[in-house]
Amino acid sequence: MSAHEDHDHDHGSEHEHAHAPIEAAGMPGYYDIMETAFQELMIEKGYIGAGEIRHQIEVLDSRNPALGAKVVARAWADPEFKLRLLENGRTACEELGITFYDLTELIVLENTPAVHNLIVCTLCSCYPRPVLGLPPDWYKAKPYRARAVYEPRKVLQEFGTVIPDDVEIRVSDSTAIQRYLVLPMRPPGTESYTEERLADLVSRDAMIGVIQIKSPVEGAEA
Amino acid sequence: MSGSEQLLKRLPNDIGGLEAPKIEQTDHVLLPWEKRCHALADVLDFHKIINTEEKRRGVESLGAEMVGKLTYYERWIAAFANIAFQKQLITPEELATKMAEVEDRWRAHS
Repeated sequence: MSAHEDHDHDHGSEHEHAHAPIEAAGMPGYYDIMETAFQELMIEKGYIGAGEIRHQIEVLDSRNPALGAKVVARAWADPEFKLRLLENGRTACEELGITFYDLTELIVLENTPAVHNLIVCTLCSCYPRPVLGLPPDWYKAKPYRARAVYEPRKVLQEFGTVIPDDVEIRVSDSTAIQRYLVLPMRPPGTESYTEERLADLVSRDAMIGVIQIKSPVEGAEA
Repeated sequence: MSGSEQLLKRLPNDIGGLEAPKIEQTDHVLLPWEKRCHALADVLDFHKIINTEEKRRGVESLGAEMVGKLTYYERWIAAFANIAFQKQLITPEELATKMAEVEDRWRAHS
């Protein structure tokens, strides 16, 4: 059992298991066998093609927050692109060669000095996977899903993010077909940065909205 | 008031707004079967065999006990099996037989 599973056990009976206990080298676990059997039946019966799962694993492996960071950096550097991105997140991402392998819509939420955005999926784990990859476990677990919608300031504080009281916090709850991405504020002191260098500043958590991007210049805190 | 009406008002997935403990910033690298299960979910969605919302409802209809005790991807594969039975894509017998086959194959190769 991993260290973080031990951790989870503090939450009592309602805690969410992030993953199965690691099996000792040996027989695959029950659900592992079930997945293999289910997949093979689907292929044998012709519902899905033999290579499709393998191909989709490659697609999943190709998605990570660096793609989202590229989108954010472009939006910071190119105001015209930013307008298109806020108008239609999906088609703007596609301009940068980021394909959407599903039918989800992407709504990009812009942080400003007056508004801070936070995304959540209270019902399950919907997430802008084509641009960020798979969500972290905490995003899928009960505490974040339950609390983000009614005490976002407290939740943000747990991530070390303090939003001034006069800044509105908007929490957007994702659905199976509608996903969100936060466009963080460009930090001061980055006026001369190239897009590539800007992208290096953009983290996954900033695009979920649980943190803000700090200025790389000492003493130039936003 | 028995309080049982709460069971009607809130299905197991509907937890937005409930009290909950502090957020532990946990994450883990998916196990190989978990990644396969995720890819399977996407492929089932592409073909409209089981879409994302059907999967979510399938997980919910496992009931509170299973939702609480199974891990994330264990819930998914359990939901897929149930939905595939309901849609008569496969039968429980076929799945049981195939699982025994997979197990035997593994033993034969180890």
